[in-house]
Amino acid sequence: MMMTVTGVGVALPGADSATALATASRPGDPVEPAAVLGKKGLRYKDRATQLGLCAAQRVLTDAGLLADGVLTVDGTRTAVLVSSNLGNVDTVCRVVRTIADEGTHGVSPMDTPNASSNIIASEIAIRWGLKGPNLMLCNGPASGLDAIRWGAALLRSGRADHVVVVGVEPDNEIARALVGGPLVDGAAALVLERAETAEARGATVRAVIGAHTRGPDVAGTIGELAEVEAEPAAWYAPAAAVPALSEGLPVHDLAAVWGELSGALGVVQCAAAIGALDAGADGPMWLVAGTDSDDGVATLVLRPPAPAAARPSPAGV
Amino acid sequence: MRVPIIGVGAVASVGRDADEIFANLCAGRGGLGPMRGFDGERYNGKQLFEIDDRPEQGADRPLRATAFLLDAVAQAAADAGLGDDLSGVPVLVGTGLRELRSAELWWRDGAPFGADRLHFGTALRERFGTTDTLTVSNACSASLYTLALGADLLAAGEADTVIVAGVDSITESMHGLADRVQPNPPTALRTLDVNRRGTILGDGAAAVVLRGEHVRWPGGRLWGRLRGVGMTCDAKHPTAPDPVQVAEAMRQAHRLAGTRPEDIDLVLLHGTGTPLNDLVEITAYGEVFGEAAGGPVLTGIKPMTGHTSGSAGLMSLVTTLQVMATGKVPPLVNLEQPIEEADGLRLVRGQEAKHEVALAQVHGFGFGGVNAVAIVEGS
Repeated sequence: MMMTVTGVGVALPGADSATALATASRPGDPVEPAAVLGKKGLRYKDRATQLGLCAAQRVLTDAGLLADGVLTVDGTRTAVLVSSNLGNVDTVCRVVRTIADEGTHGVSPMDTPNASSNIIASEIAIRWGLKGPNLMLCNGPASGLDAIRWGAALLRSGRADHVVVVGVEPDNEIARALVGGPLVDGAAALVLERAETAEARGATVRAVIGAHTRGPDVAGTIGELAEVEAEPAAWYAPAAAVPALSEGLPVHDLAAVWGELSGALGVVQCAAAIGALDAGADGPMWLVAGTDSDDGVATLVLRPPAPAAARPSPAGV
Repeated sequence: MRVPIIGVGAVASVGRDADEIFANLCAGRGGLGPMRGFDGERYNGKQLFEIDDRPEQGADRPLRATAFLLDAVAQAAADAGLGDDLSGVPVLVGTGLRELRSAELWWRDGAPFGADRLHFGTALRERFGTTDTLTVSNACSASLYTLALGADLLAAGEADTVIVAGVDSITESMHGLADRVQPNPPTALRTLDVNRRGTILGDGAAAVVLRGEHVRWPGGRLWGRLRGVGMTCDAKHPTAPDPVQVAEAMRQAHRLAGTRPEDIDLVLLHGTGTPLNDLVEITAYGEVFGEAAGGPVLTGIKPMTGHTSGSAGLMSLVTTLQVMATGKVPPLVNLEQPIEEADGLRLVRGQEAKHEVALAQVHGFGFGGVNAVAIVEGS
């Protein structure tokens, strides 16, 4: 069963598309959610949710699942899978400080939904009526690539026909203090579908999802990958992973451009790799999230879509 | 699908392990008490279902959720005969609040804490050598969601054994926000009672070990078999549940399990005791079961465990497996006058009931409209 990527959405500072992401060398202006989504319905939503909604709207549109604001596929067969580690940490910390200073009469009931980490995934479902499995992964440095693995698993098990995968992190004082440095303030998103689903609705395949591995260290996990995948054309990996990677190939350390990407990393890597494929890069892209000092390392391969001429024609001639 | 469940573990306010919890539930003994980790002066609601593991009342410490999780996973692994080296075993953790309580203590009080502890993979690796772990933050249906993912992983042939778990320790932010809108807080959690006034949070963790259907194993006990898990999203409101997709989660579970409502002997309700959740749950149940609604016995454990959020679904599943093993069904304590919508249903009231259960349905519904329903059969 072949899994494909049929849409890419980007909402990073100064980058609003896979192409812009692939060539970006430093962050630009912050994302303005009202400019992307309109002002309606943004009040009381935390920054991570707003950024997630921006990337989701762009990916749904890019994949053709949304046309003129209307869903073109069955919402009950569409899953949402979001990865974010720091998403609602600011709300939770702010509320507990208010309680200490003023008691519970000082807190706003409007913060209630944001006290639960899955608010980002549920708000994306609410906005577009996506009623399939709805999952919020908060799984540390590897979380973004984990999200793609588990999104593909939802397709493989037949639980969904379309999966919207979003990686998002907000930049704020509390999150910065927790991770000890500057953070990205943005999101990226993919739509995953089985190849036959994509073909049946005439979608453009942007990349084919290859093998994934998860294990204790970078060298071991990419070693496992090498047993089943062709040599990489480029790496997307954290700087700390570089000593274990094969030499002579381009290595893209996206955190060096955007700051800490945390749970958004794997999804942003995929979006950037697809931007490179769109621009004519050839060969498989190997992605690594997590390092030897984390709880686990995840890898994933994205292959270029098969050229149209290589596909058998429906009539077999 | 018939996925063997070969180990269970749990910790809650009502017991230190799965057996102690079940014995107390059957005896009708609940874990509600004066709040121990928060400053009671700041809240209207001063009672919680806490695990009493703090050094002194009113003083809190970080990483309690992590400790509960490690305890439940260790119990389940030991029960399955796996030991403490789980290096080849994926561990999937469902949680509502992760280690956000520790983040609160870090931000407010300067307690030591880092981002690597927000998810549970770091501690699981240190303790059990695991490197394929997942923290799914899916509110109060989280652990039934991880149950589904675990079963799917086995079905895909990606593992022989999977541990699925759920955990939560109460955050001040969640309790405080609920307290803000409840000037007259509930003094008890009364599932399906006309006088129910809301939910009360609880600490807890639960874990089960799943094996591939065709995998032989040397030790452990066959507690039962997972038949199917349905998962839907309301896509309607961030906090108010909707009966349409709740009912659809039940139907989907039956489709996946190849079962019918009339086959079900027991329903473990989500039963948070909030006015809306109980109404939505029982309405959806009535719609799906139709004329068969009077067949199964119905019970729920939250009046005694409190709402243990991310662990709630698996806590109910572990209880269900114990019901199947013993024929004893814990009662819905505090239920004095059932709501009209529950008329004609076989609610277990007052005291423990005897009932043979071969097939059961377990509910988990959460903030954000995330719904999961599991069907499980006895061994």
